[in-house]
Amino acid sequence: MAKSPHKAALRAHAFRGFLMAWWLPVLAVVAWYVLSDSSTSFYFPPLSKILAVLWRDLTDGPLLGYMFVSLSNMAVGLALAILIGVGTGLYIGDHAKVRQAAMPMLNFLRSVPPAAIVPIVIIALGIGAAPKIFIIAFTCLWPILLNTIDGVRGMPEELSDTARAFRIPRGLTYRRVLLMASLPQIMAGIRVAIAVALVLMVISEFFGASAGLGFYINENKQRFAMVETWAGTILIGVLGYVLSAVFLQIERVTLRWYFREAGAQTG
Amino acid sequence: MDGSNVTTSLAQPMQVNGLSKSYGPVKVIEKLDMHVDPGDFVCIVGPSGAGKTTLLRCLSGLMPATSGEVRVGGKVLTEPLAEIGVVFQDYRGSLMPWMRTLDNVAFPLQGRGVPKAEREERARKCLADVGLENAAHQYPWELSGGMQQRVAIARALAYDAHILLMDEPFGSLDAQTKMGLEDLVLDLRRRLKISVIVVTHDIDEAVYLADRVVVLSGKPSTIVDTVDVDLGPERDQIRTKSDPKFFEYRNRVMDHIMR
Ligand SMILES: Nc1ncnc2c1ncn2[C@@H]1O[C@H](COP(=O)(O)OP(=O)(O)OP(=O)(O)O)[C@@H](O)[C@H]1O
Ligand SMILES: [Mg+2]
Repeated sequence: MAKSPHKAALRAHAFRGFLMAWWLPVLAVVAWYVLSDSSTSFYFPPLSKILAVLWRDLTDGPLLGYMFVSLSNMAVGLALAILIGVGTGLYIGDHAKVRQAAMPMLNFLRSVPPAAIVPIVIIALGIGAAPKIFIIAFTCLWPILLNTIDGVRGMPEELSDTARAFRIPRGLTYRRVLLMASLPQIMAGIRVAIAVALVLMVISEFFGASAGLGFYINENKQRFAMVETWAGTILIGVLGYVLSAVFLQIERVTLRWYFREAGAQTG
Repeated sequence: MDGSNVTTSLAQPMQVNGLSKSYGPVKVIEKLDMHVDPGDFVCIVGPSGAGKTTLLRCLSGLMPATSGEVRVGGKVLTEPLAEIGVVFQDYRGSLMPWMRTLDNVAFPLQGRGVPKAEREERARKCLADVGLENAAHQYPWELSGGMQQRVAIARALAYDAHILLMDEPFGSLDAQTKMGLEDLVLDLRRRLKISVIVVTHDIDEAVYLADRVVVLSGKPSTIVDTVDVDLGPERDQIRTKSDPKFFEYRNRVMDHIMR
C-alpha cells in the first residue's frame, strides 16, 4: 500500500510525457483531416478518402500482400547487410594492415549514390526479388560496416589486453569482446541502415516490379490515381515510424549495460 | 626474504635478463635484471612515467622486449601464459561492462574450455576469496572502485595463475579501501602460495607489501637498488608501519627516487 502513491505519481509522470510527445503529431493529423475534408484538389484529396482507400486496399485489396513482399525484401537485405557488415567490420577493425588497404575503396563504394545503381542492378539481375534485395543490402552495408570498424577501433586498449592476457581464443574474443564493445556503434549503424533500407525498398520497386509497396505507389501514380498514391505513401510513413520505434526498443534492451554504465559514470 | 615459500609454492620462478624496451627511438627501460622466486612478493617502485606499465606488459608477455628476455620456469616468454594472471592499472577499463561480475570472473575459464557449471563454481569461490560473494549478479559499473578492483583480482585468481602481476592496483582508491585490499593480497599470497609482482609509485605500499622492493629510476629506467625487506611474513597496517625498520627501508627507497 505504501508504494501506491509513488506508482500513481510515476503513472502521472508517464502520461504527461506521453502528452508532451504526442500533442503536435495528433494535432497535425486532426488539422489535416478537418482542413482537407472539403478539398476538391486533385493532388490533395481529403484525408478521410485516403484512409478509406487505404483500409479498403489493405483488407480487400493487394496492399497487405504487397506490404509482405516489400518488408521481406527489406528484412532479407538488411539481414545480409548486418551479417556481412558486422562480420567483415570486426575483421577489418581488428587488422590495421587490412584496414589501411581497404579504407580508400570502402570510402569510394560508400559514396556511390544507391539510387544510381538501381538501373544497373536491375539490368544485371533482372526483375524479381533478387535485384531489390541486392540494392537494399548494398546500401545498408556501408553504415553498418563503417560503424563496426569504428566501434572496434574505439575499443579501450585494456579490453583487448585483457583478452590477450587471459588467452581468450580468437573466436570467443570476437563474439564476446569485439562484438560487444562495438555494439553501440553497430546499433547506431543499423538504425541509419533501416531508414535507408526503407527508401531503397520503395525506389527499387519503381522499376521492373509487379508487386510491393513501391510498385503500388508507382502504378497508381501512372494511372493518376492520387488517392491510392497517397494511401501507399502514408502506409510507408507509418511503417517507417513503427520500424524505428521497434528498433529503439531493441536497442534499449541489448544496450542496457551501455546506457546504464554511461549513467553510472556521469551521475 | 621468506625462504619457506620456495618449497611450497606452485609458482614457476621468473627471471628477467637484460631487458630493454624502446618505443621507436625513445628508450624507456634499460638493461633490467631481476628474478622472482616461487612465492615471492616483489614490488617494483618507480615514479610516474618510469615505465612501470611498460615493464609489466613485457613481464606478462603482452609486449615483446626490444632486447633481453623474460624466462618463466626456464622457458623464454613469447606470449601470455596460463601461469600468469594480470590485474591492469585501469580496472574500470579491463572489466567487461556487458558481463555480470560472475561472468567477468568466469570468462577466462570459458576461453580454456571449462564447462559452464564448473567455471561458475570456480568463479563463485574466487569471488568469495575476495569477499564479493554477494556481488556475483551485479554489473561492474554498479560496484565501487574497490569492489571492481577486487573483481579484477578474483578474475586473475580464477584463471588459476600462480604468478599475479598487478599494475598500480590500489592507486585510485581511498586510503581505507586501499589498506583493506593490500591485506587481502598479502593474505591471498599466503593462502594460495602464489608469487605476486606489484608495480607502484607508492613507496610505503611497496615496503609494506614486499619481500623485496626493486627501485626503478633514471631516464631510461634502470634498477638503482634492490631492497630485501625483512619485516617478517606477517604484516600489520599499524604495527608494521611503525616499525623502525619500516622507516629505514622507506627512507632508503625514497632517497633513490627523490634523487
Ligand atoms: N605505446 C607507447 N608508445 C610510445 N610511448 C609510450 C607508449 N606507452 C608508453 N610510452 C611512454 O613510455 C614511458 C613510460 O610509460 P609507462 O606507461 O610505462 O609509465 P608508468 O610508469 O606506467 O607511468 P604511470 O605511473 O603514469 O602509470 C612514458 O614516457 C610514455 O610516454
Ligand atoms: Mg602505468
